[in-house]
Amino acid sequence: MKIENTKAQMRKGVLEFCILSVLKDDDAYVAEILSTLKDAKLLVVEGTIYPLLTRLKNAGLLNYRWEESTSGPPRKYYGLTETGKLFLKELDTTWSELHNAVTIVTSQKTPKK
Amino acid sequence: MNKTVNINLAGIFFHIDEDAYLKLQRYLEAIKRSFTDTQGRSEIIADIEARIAELFNERVQNDKQVIRITEVDEVISVMGQPEDYLVDDEIFEDEPQASYRTKSATSRKLFRDTDNSYVGGVSSGLSHYFGVDAIWIRLAWILLIFGAGTGILLYILLWILVPEAKTTAEKIMMTGEPVNISNIEKKIKDGFETVTETVGDVAKNVSDSVSNAAKNIDVKKTGNSIKSSSRSFFETIGDIIMFFFKVFSKFIGVLLIITSAATLIALIVALFSVGIADVIHIPGLDLVEIANTGETPIWLVSLCAFFAVGIPFFFLFYLGLKILINNLKSIGNLAKFSLLGLWIISIIALIIFGVRQASEHAYEESYTEKTELPITAKDTLTIKMVNNDNFNSDYGRHDNFKLAYNDNGDKVLYSADIDIIVKSTTDSLARVAIRKKADGRDYDSAIERAKNINYNFDFKNNTLLLDSYLTTHPDNKFSDQEVDVVLYLPESAVTYFNNSAKGHLDYRTYDGNIISRDDTNHYMKIMFEDAECLDCPEENIKIKVNTPSVKINDDGIEIHSNEGHLKIDKNGIKAESEDVNLNINAEGVEIDAED
Repeated sequence: MKIENTKAQMRKGVLEFCILSVLKDDDAYVAEILSTLKDAKLLVVEGTIYPLLTRLKNAGLLNYRWEESTSGPPRKYYGLTETGKLFLKELDTTWSELHNAVTIVTSQKTPKK
Repeated sequence: MNKTVNINLAGIFFHIDEDAYLKLQRYLEAIKRSFTDTQGRSEIIADIEARIAELFNERVQNDKQVIRITEVDEVISVMGQPEDYLVDDEIFEDEPQASYRTKSATSRKLFRDTDNSYVGGVSSGLSHYFGVDAIWIRLAWILLIFGAGTGILLYILLWILVPEAKTTAEKIMMTGEPVNISNIEKKIKDGFETVTETVGDVAKNVSDSVSNAAKNIDVKKTGNSIKSSSRSFFETIGDIIMFFFKVFSKFIGVLLIITSAATLIALIVALFSVGIADVIHIPGLDLVEIANTGETPIWLVSLCAFFAVGIPFFFLFYLGLKILINNLKSIGNLAKFSLLGLWIISIIALIIFGVRQASEHAYEESYTEKTELPITAKDTLTIKMVNNDNFNSDYGRHDNFKLAYNDNGDKVLYSADIDIIVKSTTDSLARVAIRKKADGRDYDSAIERAKNINYNFDFKNNTLLLDSYLTTHPDNKFSDQEVDVVLYLPESAVTYFNNSAKGHLDYRTYDGNIISRDDTNHYMKIMFEDAECLDCPEENIKIKVNTPSVKINDDGIEIHSNEGHLKIDKNGIKAESEDVNLNINAEGVEIDAED
């Protein structure tokens, strides 16, 4: 078992949740989503996000619109759909529960014999 | 100095160094290979290209600046290696996918495995397809090769028809593993294939196959979801019908393959035995040569027959294979049409040969030799047939020709087609006419062949000894040679046909033939256009007369008239008239006269 794989899986698991969270308040185009995620060190390389975005869009959680850009190709602005919002809400709860659970488990001192 | 290329990335124009361009192209192809169509490959690629364009744009200060390999490297490090694009399906898929992760035979396709091949990779391909070790398949081939060489033929056919597993996706399909990214990656990492300069071609192939495979998987997936969620009665019925239809079509395919392969093999064996025999002259096949009056080379005829029959069966075989193996390579239109042409040519050639052969019998001519026999009206002529020990005598008169050796040890054709015809003549001496008949392409050849018939007879002690066979040289071929022996006999001469002549006489008499089969073993007296049997048993005649004046029956004779009465019966004779009465009976003779 490779540590890289486990790490990547852990990260990928929460990645969808994070993408949806970035778009919670406002629409954003890919570079913006990327910078947020990269700032948070959640994403090392950008490539990973594209299949995820397409997947979320195909699942009906995201939609997008085209916007012209002054300095480059037109940009895809992603936003949450109604389903996406519900989905995010649910994930939010799950995350808090999970966070709590993980905190409890990891902060607990190993019982001494 | 470096050559530059102009590219259009997401609608933005870039100058790019050639080496940088190649690197970028490889990179994009590698990413493309990581996705299937179901994941929205084209959309993802478009997004990635747009992002790369954006990143390039940030790095280019003015329109004249060229993208160099360093920029491409930077962009790649930002975007990540192709592996980073991999989203392991297992994490995100809602449904368990164990159903198509297992090696299922249905997803397996027949390819030639040229990586593990001895000859053409057919055996190892088959071993993947059937899931057995290649050694067994190879053993089977060797056994088949000993079985009249059919293995070689079948092998070559499969070699031509089964496509080679060229791309990684095909190699994976060959082994029956599902084609997904991790498998392709695995194969590539296993060193099955390295991304080299040919990456463009290979990647294209792979991506096409992947998309095909993905379509299959997609269909299967939807099939699964239907089954699990809303499986309706009719869909189940449909599945069952489809299943049986598939099984049935496979069965038909197997049947087609077996029958057509058997026919092809038989044809090939036949072609070789006849064709080779023609060239090296195997004894026993001479009959074929002799029957061939058309003088067409036997090997040509058999080759034409082979194509005329074999080509339709080859197409049946191909059809059978096509039903069984769905990724079978097409033999190509060129091959199809040239086979069709060959077939038509063979048919035409066969028709021409047939016409030539038939034209050999266009003319039937005869050649007659006449000999006088010292038989007069007072003589008795005995006719016997003579067999030759060299020739098989125990077959019918109209049997076909046979080959044998005569007393001199020469090879001859012989036939028992001898007909005896008997006619009456007003001449004083008997005559025998030997009429030899044969067919030919024209008058001359027919006459020539007729003359070449050897037929002998002998006459001694008032006995005519006729050969029961005719012979001719094999060069004359079968051309319906026959001999009519016509006997002209003076009226009131007597003939005796020995039993041996029975088979050569006609069943019945007719105008111009006065002796029939039934007349053998009898002394027959020649009449004018008829013959009378001299020693035939008389026929029993029963006369019965029953009129008022005359009665003749088993009891006796009784005659009444106005003047008298006669009665002859078991009691005696009784005659009565007006003047005389006669009575003869057991008591004596009694005569009463009035005077």
